[in-house]
Amino acid sequence: MTSSEVTSREVTATTQVRPPARKSVPAKKVRRGFSDRALGTLMLLPALLLLLVFAVYPFLASVFDSFFRIDFLTREHTFLGPDNYRRLWEDPAVRGAFGRSVLWVAANVVIQAVLGVAVALLLNAGLRGQSLARGLVLFPYVVPAVVAALVFRFLFNDTSGVAGYALRELGLSESLANPFADPATVLGALVAVNCWKYVPFVVIVVLARLQTLPGELKEAASLDGAGRFGIFRHVTLPWIAPALIVAMLMRTIWTAYDFDLPYLLAAGGPMDSSTTVPLAIRKLAFADQDLGLASALAVCVAILLVAGARLYLRAYRSSESALS
Amino acid sequence: MRLRNFRRAPLYLCLALVVAVADLPLLWIVLTALKPDAEIIAYPPSFWPGELTFDNFRTLFEISQFSAYLRNSLLVSVGATALTVLLGVCAAYALVRFRIPGLRWVGELSLFAYLVPPILVLVPVAQVVARFGLANNLGALVVLYTATLLPFALWTLRSYFHGLTVELEEAAMVDGCTRFGAFVRVVLPQAVPGVIATSVFTFNAAWSEYLFASTLLADPEKFTVSQGLSLLMDQTSVYSWGVLMAAALVIVTPVLVLFVLVQKFLVGGVGQGAVK
Repeated sequence: MTSSEVTSREVTATTQVRPPARKSVPAKKVRRGFSDRALGTLMLLPALLLLLVFAVYPFLASVFDSFFRIDFLTREHTFLGPDNYRRLWEDPAVRGAFGRSVLWVAANVVIQAVLGVAVALLLNAGLRGQSLARGLVLFPYVVPAVVAALVFRFLFNDTSGVAGYALRELGLSESLANPFADPATVLGALVAVNCWKYVPFVVIVVLARLQTLPGELKEAASLDGAGRFGIFRHVTLPWIAPALIVAMLMRTIWTAYDFDLPYLLAAGGPMDSSTTVPLAIRKLAFADQDLGLASALAVCVAILLVAGARLYLRAYRSSESALS
Repeated sequence: MRLRNFRRAPLYLCLALVVAVADLPLLWIVLTALKPDAEIIAYPPSFWPGELTFDNFRTLFEISQFSAYLRNSLLVSVGATALTVLLGVCAAYALVRFRIPGLRWVGELSLFAYLVPPILVLVPVAQVVARFGLANNLGALVVLYTATLLPFALWTLRSYFHGLTVELEEAAMVDGCTRFGAFVRVVLPQAVPGVIATSVFTFNAAWSEYLFASTLLADPEKFTVSQGLSLLMDQTSVYSWGVLMAAALVIVTPVLVLFVLVQKFLVGGVGQGAVK
């Protein structure tokens, strides 16, 4: 979940500090079981097979398919070369979806990071009822996307929506307009609902990290004359930075791939104004039955995300070394 | 003390606001599900139900196959959770404890699997499913969910095993346990909080999933709750909000209850596990 580099470093570290237990156990007392190597392989094999079949194979198949025109019914492959990629580049619908996806991911991740840290600090401030509030604030994260979609459609429906009613009573809006039915507001409304559901995830991760913040660090800083903001800026933020960066990485990946919530709330509409890349991929594959083009688009996204992940991992490492 | 509380008033206000934003939509589901239709469409809307009714739930189970959806979802989610945790526990332990050539490679593979988008997996898998006649097969969905949730489980559990000392295991082996015996009797009991946290997250993800289910399952008898509710939303084109909210409440209750029961494990379990 962190970085491949971090992992391998940790794995080597363990093996160096703790040599395989066998060597430290007197040989004659060890009961005969599987050898470590056989047991390890046996324990790892099912998971490995599953990953090969459901992650590696689909990835390779998509890369392969992206160079062909594929007949939807007969599965007949006609080699095209890089034509699908050229078509992606030239297709205005795909370009539109790409732009919306970038906006969608950036808005979601920034808002969720800021609100997530703010709420985590609030829930760690030692207020009364804190533990109850912690539980209550995390609820939206557990709510299935389909339920979230339904309740927000209901709250903002244009005949009896209570949210629209409240906004109008407060003088913030003139009509009960449904924000998911207006091309100008649909993307913003989707971001708001997505943040409602996923800010709690950032809160969980940051809160767990905040609880391990050594009190002496804060005391030392306030003895040095740091104010509240100074303590946050120079002590708290650097402490939570590694956790926050990992949370942001995960949110970036999941938000970029998110299909369920946008689809169930707006289905890409009205008039494609909320079609992000995952929705475009499914549309290309199943509605337009253009499997080659859909594969090419999926491959592009995967490559971009792996590149993005590397940026986060670099930031993660520098935030870790800044602490020590 | 009183002065301190007074100065903290703005913080309490913020806390109340945050809790309200997070939970009012959920409260609204409950209140609406218990209202008669006439009251739901009334304008201006009423907050508390003037008259409590369970008609919406009765209608829900009469007009839809919701009990079948619930059974399917339960079957798929429990199956996927059990399989994911079983495979995840074994693989995570092997990754942490053994020095086998190629192990590093497996660790990186699972990270890669985590980065592969479900939407990319969808097209090739849909082709395989169609070719082997696995459409409408709940077992195929269990395997698919297990594969997509395994990387997350693997990484969370890995960090758990990482924190356990090896000395207890060695002691057990000196006392005559095999390595596998030590794993089952010594390591697993220590990892219970991590296993519980991972199980809850896996169950919730499987229970909520829509994309794979809606692509694989076409027979309404095999639908999961997410699909069932989505179908209901399309069918009741003149929204019968009360029935829909009753359905939403039925879907959300099991996961919320589960979440409350194990809440103390979650912040420590997955929150820290995600970071280590």
